[in-house]
Amino acid sequence: MATLTDVIDRPTSQSGLWSWITTVDHKRIGVLYGVTAFIFLLLGGVEAGVIRLQLAVPDNTLVDPDTFNQMFTMHGTTMIFLVIMPLSASFFNFVIPLAIGARDVAFPRLNAFSYWVFLFGGLLLNASFLTNQAPDAGWFSYANLTEKPFSANQGLDYWALGLQVLGVSSLAAAFNFVVTIVNLRAPGMSLMRMPLFVWMTLVTSILLVLAFPVITVGLIELTFDRNFGTNFFVPEGGGDPILWQHLFWVFGHPEVYILILPAMGIVSEVLPTFSRKPLFGYPVVVFSGVVIGIMGWAVWSHHMFTVGLGPVAVSVFMITTMLIAVPTGVKIFNWIGTLWGGQIDLKTAMLFALGFVALFIVGGLSGVSHAVAPSDNQQQDTYYIVAHIHYVLFGGALFGIFAGVYYWFPKVTGKLLHEGLGKLHFWLYFIGMNVTFFPMHYLGLNGMPRRIYTYASEFGWDGLNLLASLGYLVLFVGTLLFIVNLMISLRKEPDAGHDPWDAPGLEWKIASPPPVYNFAKIPQVEGLDQYWIEKRRAEAEGHPITEPEALVDPSTIHMPSPSYWPLVTAIGVLILAAGMLVDTGWDYIRFPIPFIGGLISFIGIVAWANEPPAKEHAGGDHHPEAAHGGGHLAVAAVAEHPGGGATHSVRLLCSNCNNQLSSNFRFCPYCGGAVEDPAEPHHQEG
Amino acid sequence: MGLLPFRGEESRTQRARDKKGNTTHMSKRLSISRKHLLLLGLTAILLLVMACAPDAKQSTFGTSGPVAEKQLLLFNVLLWVMVAVFILVEGVLLYAVIKFRRRPGQTELPPQTHGHTALEITWTIIPTILILGLGIWSTITLFELDQPPAGADTLEVTAVGHQWWWEFEYPDADGNGKRITTANELRIPVDKAIRINLRSDDIIHSFWVPKLAGKVDVVPTRENYMWFQADETGIFYGQCAEFCGTAHAQMRFLVQVLPQEDYLAWAEGFGEAPVLSAQAQAGQTVFNGTGGCVVCHTANGSDSDAVVAGRVQGFMTSDTGIAPGPNLTDLATRVRFGAGIVDLNRQNLRQWLRDPETVKPGNYMSERAAIYQTADGRASLSESDISSLLEYLLSLK
Repeated sequence: MATLTDVIDRPTSQSGLWSWITTVDHKRIGVLYGVTAFIFLLLGGVEAGVIRLQLAVPDNTLVDPDTFNQMFTMHGTTMIFLVIMPLSASFFNFVIPLAIGARDVAFPRLNAFSYWVFLFGGLLLNASFLTNQAPDAGWFSYANLTEKPFSANQGLDYWALGLQVLGVSSLAAAFNFVVTIVNLRAPGMSLMRMPLFVWMTLVTSILLVLAFPVITVGLIELTFDRNFGTNFFVPEGGGDPILWQHLFWVFGHPEVYILILPAMGIVSEVLPTFSRKPLFGYPVVVFSGVVIGIMGWAVWSHHMFTVGLGPVAVSVFMITTMLIAVPTGVKIFNWIGTLWGGQIDLKTAMLFALGFVALFIVGGLSGVSHAVAPSDNQQQDTYYIVAHIHYVLFGGALFGIFAGVYYWFPKVTGKLLHEGLGKLHFWLYFIGMNVTFFPMHYLGLNGMPRRIYTYASEFGWDGLNLLASLGYLVLFVGTLLFIVNLMISLRKEPDAGHDPWDAPGLEWKIASPPPVYNFAKIPQVEGLDQYWIEKRRAEAEGHPITEPEALVDPSTIHMPSPSYWPLVTAIGVLILAAGMLVDTGWDYIRFPIPFIGGLISFIGIVAWANEPPAKEHAGGDHHPEAAHGGGHLAVAAVAEHPGGGATHSVRLLCSNCNNQLSSNFRFCPYCGGAVEDPAEPHHQEG
Repeated sequence: MGLLPFRGEESRTQRARDKKGNTTHMSKRLSISRKHLLLLGLTAILLLVMACAPDAKQSTFGTSGPVAEKQLLLFNVLLWVMVAVFILVEGVLLYAVIKFRRRPGQTELPPQTHGHTALEITWTIIPTILILGLGIWSTITLFELDQPPAGADTLEVTAVGHQWWWEFEYPDADGNGKRITTANELRIPVDKAIRINLRSDDIIHSFWVPKLAGKVDVVPTRENYMWFQADETGIFYGQCAEFCGTAHAQMRFLVQVLPQEDYLAWAEGFGEAPVLSAQAQAGQTVFNGTGGCVVCHTANGSDSDAVVAGRVQGFMTSDTGIAPGPNLTDLATRVRFGAGIVDLNRQNLRQWLRDPETVKPGNYMSERAAIYQTADGRASLSESDISSLLEYLLSLK
């Protein structure tokens, strides 16, 4: 591949479409994630609208049953995999490197790859609409309804392959953030000095790394059952449909925490900022987050209480599920403790964070009631569960995410979102959310099963369903208002300054929007809430900080160069997956297209691995004096490839104990001692 | 109606508490709205209770029999614990937000507290104790409800889930070994423990009669069971609770709870040869001949295992025009048809025979039966054939 990469130089565009396509900048990738996921949010919202219109009145015939089934399947799948997860990923991308004082993530090109694969996975899933074969077996697609005799069209193939592609994206991103958070923290930022959002990102990423392989196994088995005649979930063939449920929920329950923990992290940043008080009981909040992450693995069968597991298994999962309420409750108490005695400023971000706490309490309480298996046997698979999931995912995760949007928008753009519109948006969401979802508790308790496309008037569910549908309209208007707010705010001149909220995190130290290199000087961390420490000290010394860190000439700081190969590799992954939808019916090569995709990915990966640094950095025209921060390591040697281009395995030596280290360490893991400045700027290549 | 009742409640108590410690102009403003808040609170409680609609046909409130009642008791206690915790925690949250709002001119930082160990231990331990108590009680209930009480006189029925209707097999309906197969209407005696064995020949369904017992899934490969007992006679409503494809919403059924002697009379008289008029006899010919109904439906007693297996096999291999269809023996004694969705009367049944797709979209009769493979999906039978068939079906009693 050496010849290929010699011919194709690394892209160098700094602006325009190409710069976005080839970017490896975590901030740009964060924006890409955010915008894409927001578009999917609108799509999932439209799907929800069809559901609510159909159910507004009894015996409605607005859509036929199969369309309705496609709508709730795609609504759930979209909101979980294409909205909440990538919106969280958008914050991981934009905020994490800034919050830990790094220049980028550990593997910038892998980060770009994650985004492109996510985009393609989402498109593949939604392409099913174009062939009128949208999946229709629900977001958890229980076997054996998903087998060929019962789901003959390709909807479930789109679903399984789309999720498989999204899984690649999630896994790549999760590995990236685990490594980034473990290895790239600024000197002095010990684990217990990490902002809570960083902590929750770390826990979430570890959950992702462990959970996605499980669903991957399930999806492969499903794809094989449907296309190659295996019998993993086929009862007549000796398979077991309950195996799917175990695989799905061993993934699915940690997934619930994958969805909610980032929002909890965001809220744990927003509440202290607008209360002007540090997070109450930081170690306990961290610990409870970690405990939730661990206990989340021991509760999956509470989704299966009616499957007939027997009272022994059920009672075990019942107790573990109840106990997980303890660390969750502790978080809520600590958030209230944070507010207590503070000076609460009800900015929009704060309103959303408070809304999160208020609504999550409802979802948490109904969650405890599901844990009680005997009474859950009545509520399982009813609208009571639909109410619960929306209180934790809409009232919880999405409110947390919107708190994050209003909080970090000025950092991303340098512009504040309009407060008046924002507050109206909040109240429409808060009221609309409760009007839509609170009645669903009653509907469920009054016997309305979930996933029914119609209901008879005789059951007395009419009024509450209509109310829920009216609530949807309020949410719809709220969303439009948010879009208007975005439009208005993006058009105005930057007005945010670098630190509009007097916030504690390192990201607020630098200009808004942040320069491409983030920190001109890698910060030295002395404690939790580092920027508060610095600001308070400066204030006490009589020269308050009013300016962001001074900008420097970007060319003096080595940053990872843009690259084509993440996109090429991702296109290969897309073709590999989508090609599985084309069955030639030939005896020997039934599925030829995936091989082409595999080949493209292979070429992409090899070219990626052998890619030379960008021209302007290859010649050794570095300006190391501007690049160094607090505690860099000395770079002992940079080996040269015979074929040209530096290898990226930079060998580092600790100047204190002289141990040889891998290139990603910022301070010596053996002695932790003082180190001298690097002779060569730090390479960050993915 | 939603969260509002709760919020009204809590803001009332909260503001009343607030009032004590605050300035007079605050309390004056509050005393004016107090009446309204009280009214709102009362309305809220009324709405709360009303929304629980124990009379609603499929409500999990207004239960009958020991199983659903024990499940409901657990839920009710839980509900009030939840309401108490809700009011307490949301109340403290709201209080904190109001009390500690930033006031103009506040330049000094508030006290920078980092935590309070004793407090944090307390609010970890209290929920743990609460939850363990709840857990122990739930576990006891769980084991209690697993099996019918020992030594109870139990009637056994197998419920078979099909896409999208229910089949009920009584291996011994009358205590003398009489086997009955019927569909979509389960008849049981009052005050007797009923053990339901759950079977599926296609995919996963879930058997649920909210007023009698919580649901249990019907899973191929698994021999699930449940039991319940009705304490009063009447009709109870049930519905499949696990998503099972196109017509999942219309996979309903009725449970008719009869006085014990009525039940016995029904069981003993079930399947006696019907009296057929000349037109009904013509209808029987259509049923067995041109209509092809007999391929999937049996109208005279139970099916042999071979016939059942053949239909299931035909269903799984598709394009065969075969699927298991509801057993129609004594059809005319049923209240509803189409899996509990429409009243059984001449008009509805005629519509069903003409074009079942308009009554229940997605059903396998319109999809598979030869007579419905027409351009517009309407039966290829003549009107007179349909009338005869109708006559025949309505004589099945």
